[in-house]
Amino acid sequence: MSFRKHNEGGWGQTLVSGLVAVIYFAPVFWMILTAFKTRQDALAIPPKLIFTPTLENFRSVFVEVTSSGEVVSTGAWLYFANSAFIAGASVLLALIIGTLAAYAFSRYPLKGNDTYLFIILTTRMLPPIVVIIPIFLLFRITGLSGTYIGIILLYTSFNLPFSIWMMKSFFDDLDREVEDSARMDGSSDWAVFGRIVLPQVLAGLAATLVFALILTWNEFIFALLLTGPETRTVPVAIASTIGGSIGVDWGKLSAMITLFLIPVFIVTFALQNQLLRGVTFGTIRK
Amino acid sequence: MKKYLLASVAILAGSAACAEDIVIRMAAPDWGPTRFMQDYANETYTAPSGNNVTLEIDFIPWANFFDRVNASLNSGEQKYQMIVSDSQWLGNFVEAGHFLKLNEYIEADPELQAIMQDVHPALVAGFSTYPHVPAEEIEAAGGYAPDISYYGFPQFPDAYFTYYRNDLFCDEAENAAFEEQYGAPLPCEPADWDDVTWEDWGNYGAFFTRTAGETLAGETLSEDVYGIAYQAGKPLDFSTMQINAFLWQWGGGIWDESNEPEAQVMGVVNSPENIEAFETYLSLLDYAPPIAQTGQMGIFEIQDLYMQGKIAAIIDWAALAAPVVDPATSSVADVTSFAMMPGHMRDGEIDRSANLGGQPFVLTSWNDETVTREALDVVKWWLSEETQIAAVKAGGQSGLQSVMNNPEYDSWSPWNEYFRRSLPWQKDLWHVPEMFEMLTQQQEEFDRAITGQISAEEALNNVAEFQDELLRDAGRLD
Amino acid sequence: MHLPAAFTARTSGRGILRWLNAPERRGPLLVAPAILTLLLVNILPLLWSFGLSFFNYRANRMATPRFDGLENYVDLLGDDRVWERFVTTGLIVTGSVGLQLVVGFGLAMLFARKFPLRRVLLMLVLTPMMLSFVSVGIFFKLFYDPTLGLLSWFVAMFTGEPFAIMATPAGAIWAIVIADAWMWSPFVMLLVLAGLVSVPDYLYEAAQVDRASHWRRFKTITFPYVKGLILLALLFRTIETFKTFELVYLITAGGPGTATETIAVYAYRLGFQNFRTSEASAMAYLILFIVIVLTSLYLYLVKQRNSEEV
Repeated sequence: MSFRKHNEGGWGQTLVSGLVAVIYFAPVFWMILTAFKTRQDALAIPPKLIFTPTLENFRSVFVEVTSSGEVVSTGAWLYFANSAFIAGASVLLALIIGTLAAYAFSRYPLKGNDTYLFIILTTRMLPPIVVIIPIFLLFRITGLSGTYIGIILLYTSFNLPFSIWMMKSFFDDLDREVEDSARMDGSSDWAVFGRIVLPQVLAGLAATLVFALILTWNEFIFALLLTGPETRTVPVAIASTIGGSIGVDWGKLSAMITLFLIPVFIVTFALQNQLLRGVTFGTIRK
Repeated sequence: MKKYLLASVAILAGSAACAEDIVIRMAAPDWGPTRFMQDYANETYTAPSGNNVTLEIDFIPWANFFDRVNASLNSGEQKYQMIVSDSQWLGNFVEAGHFLKLNEYIEADPELQAIMQDVHPALVAGFSTYPHVPAEEIEAAGGYAPDISYYGFPQFPDAYFTYYRNDLFCDEAENAAFEEQYGAPLPCEPADWDDVTWEDWGNYGAFFTRTAGETLAGETLSEDVYGIAYQAGKPLDFSTMQINAFLWQWGGGIWDESNEPEAQVMGVVNSPENIEAFETYLSLLDYAPPIAQTGQMGIFEIQDLYMQGKIAAIIDWAALAAPVVDPATSSVADVTSFAMMPGHMRDGEIDRSANLGGQPFVLTSWNDETVTREALDVVKWWLSEETQIAAVKAGGQSGLQSVMNNPEYDSWSPWNEYFRRSLPWQKDLWHVPEMFEMLTQQQEEFDRAITGQISAEEALNNVAEFQDELLRDAGRLD
Repeated sequence: MHLPAAFTARTSGRGILRWLNAPERRGPLLVAPAILTLLLVNILPLLWSFGLSFFNYRANRMATPRFDGLENYVDLLGDDRVWERFVTTGLIVTGSVGLQLVVGFGLAMLFARKFPLRRVLLMLVLTPMMLSFVSVGIFFKLFYDPTLGLLSWFVAMFTGEPFAIMATPAGAIWAIVIADAWMWSPFVMLLVLAGLVSVPDYLYEAAQVDRASHWRRFKTITFPYVKGLILLALLFRTIETFKTFELVYLITAGGPGTATETIAVYAYRLGFQNFRTSEASAMAYLILFIVIVLTSLYLYLVKQRNSEEV
């Protein structure tokens, strides 16, 4: 009996896994449900599963009423656009720069290769809160504070260590005989990289992309400190729903969480097959 | 005087020559009172100088407001011309040179002097002075005296008082039952609360604590209901804010920064009065919802529980009152009344001392003269009677006595009277730069006592020991 | 000094390209962008903090910083409060990473086979790690509320009493561990799952023929394939959990007392609230040192295993 034959688990397996998945998902389900509730329903105990849904929370994400009774935009569109642009750009950059570096670390080891790799990893080891002041200082001196370039550069550097380590482990596991024989046939190194190596690690790229995207998408503390009103991202806006005159604005908070979840959810779903094949690609190897 | 002349010449010259575009950027927490300031400035503010001045508020999430301001100030970013500051931060940022000392401007400007005289002395003391000068001295000086150093103005002053459910406290059957047990009726009208002591408060707590299945005001409960609650939480300054009220009311107190270096810690912070006060505070938590046992009962937790109809009476800030009487957010909107906070009977009178809340706003020290002048004009606009009345009507609070003395003031919101009457009782926590370190350690010790790990006396001894050493090291204690 | 031809023949841009394209420069060339970015944005600020850790600088004082040598490090290492935070952090890391491995592995086993709706159900399990710390922290705090929370409501169905998980130090640590493990077990699951999927079919077929027991099959076939990935997951999750800040800050604020205060929270208090800027930098380097030791140990283990296999 094969381990992965199509639907070998059958509906019985669906039932078991489904039950576990639903329990695991319950807290997220609760957050999404809260987005459609009035505040009183949101906090009601026993919990309300049946209630009259409201879209007011989603409305409040995008429009607000000023003290003079005017209905104006909250600027949330800008935050969503900022999040998409900043995360997209920095993940892409990290992926490109990281993949090239990872390939080099794997195929053209430098003197002290392992040391470099280790130092790269150490940059992810400190709690961000303790390097904030020097980074803030650096941004002030370079005039990067509040700019798109600044925050994109920062996020790129945050994603590099993970990208390099992940991609290197992919490159290391590839069968080099194919590459060598292609070289023997006269292909340049670049052609080997582009036509033979990269296609084999597409799944790895997908996996790295998803992980990097998730981390960048949700990054909060540096977004809080290093973005200005024009470059602000959604996590900062999410935090603004907490601590006003009503403590946590549960409905608005959940509405934002729900909306903000959709893009990463779609990307992950689209790349799911790659992701699974990806993190190791043994299927390609054998 | 010379400086004043020069400056006025500069302003005249400036307005005569050409109108400049000036942006006054202010860091502020993201919430109603600051949103109002922005909206109202957009609508009504024009600079008297003729310059084209815009107030541009950078709204920052409340929970991380301090982090943002702190990082900006310490990196020398010099991004903001004005900053909303918590009163306790004054010492930190004044000593680091970030906040502008206002004396010479006030000295030279009768309008600003008039404002300082109109701002309630308790607020001048807590929001503006560093080194700290107590309210009595401010009052004696008539609001402004040249030998006191001034830094801030009220953006949103705050005080806490009682929110209670009149459907429970006015219920006839409940009143009869309570009277039979305790020999006095429940306080139904807000005025009845003027005589309420902490002992009574405890009785209400015990009386209204009911479990599911019991009846409350004629209805059978499906869920537990609790009697009373006030802040007892580790985050930020929650428990300290309420505990300080107890310490002062019992005749004890905190280290007196206005008397350094003579003021002592040992024997003051752990005095018998303080221990008794703290023990009373802890004992009243027995009638609070079970979240009290976790040390997480903050101002928002009790607000939420109260709005869900789980507590008969709570003590919370004026800033949090509006959602409680809004049917969209509160299930007890129609049955909520406000009243004075209970007090402690001492020498035949009820002491209602409490810890001041809210935030001042300050000017920063790196602006050029023109910008500073413009910022002060914004201050004058904000603290004009007209703006302040609009702010109060929009649900904010004013620190101006002239506004609070307006005969209609009490009618602008159901809790205004209790804010106004509580204000004279307000004192503030320390403002020295060591404030955060003292506060954090104290919150930890208080939290241990609240969660039942140590006694009130042990907690206060630990606090006293720590503060004594810290303040000696800092040279603030002989 | 002998200059490469490309530098002398400046007329030709292609010359420079050719020079760069030489095989011996391929490694440095490809690595350069990554190293430069990291140097500028990460390593420079790190070095700045490192330098600062030898002074007595306090961000809220105007006094000129004085060189203090190793004093900050000595003070910190002699401070019981610091050791207490390290122990707390160790407990949370052990509990959470351990739970993540168990749950992650269990979930991976459930999803290793193909079955109808697998793609959709898998997404449900993956969602927690797509959330921000702020949302998870705020909502778990609500779930843990003894009056308004789902956990207490659920427990009360059996006990009849409200349940305050955060009332005791041990309970509060569990509260953090559960939230963190819930959020990150899917990450471990993904890595393990990828390992499981990569096991070649013929190995299982052979095991089938041999009538090997489930345990034996797992031990000799499955585990070797997922071992490396489990270790990778362990490495990344340990490093990340060591930095736990937001969840603690939001859920317990370090309470009751200081029972859940991690070193990241403590470093924040030192640097951001107590303005002991230099001491906080020293603290950061102590953390870095410990994480480096842990990581090296891990990498050493991986190497040993690898050489055993060969």
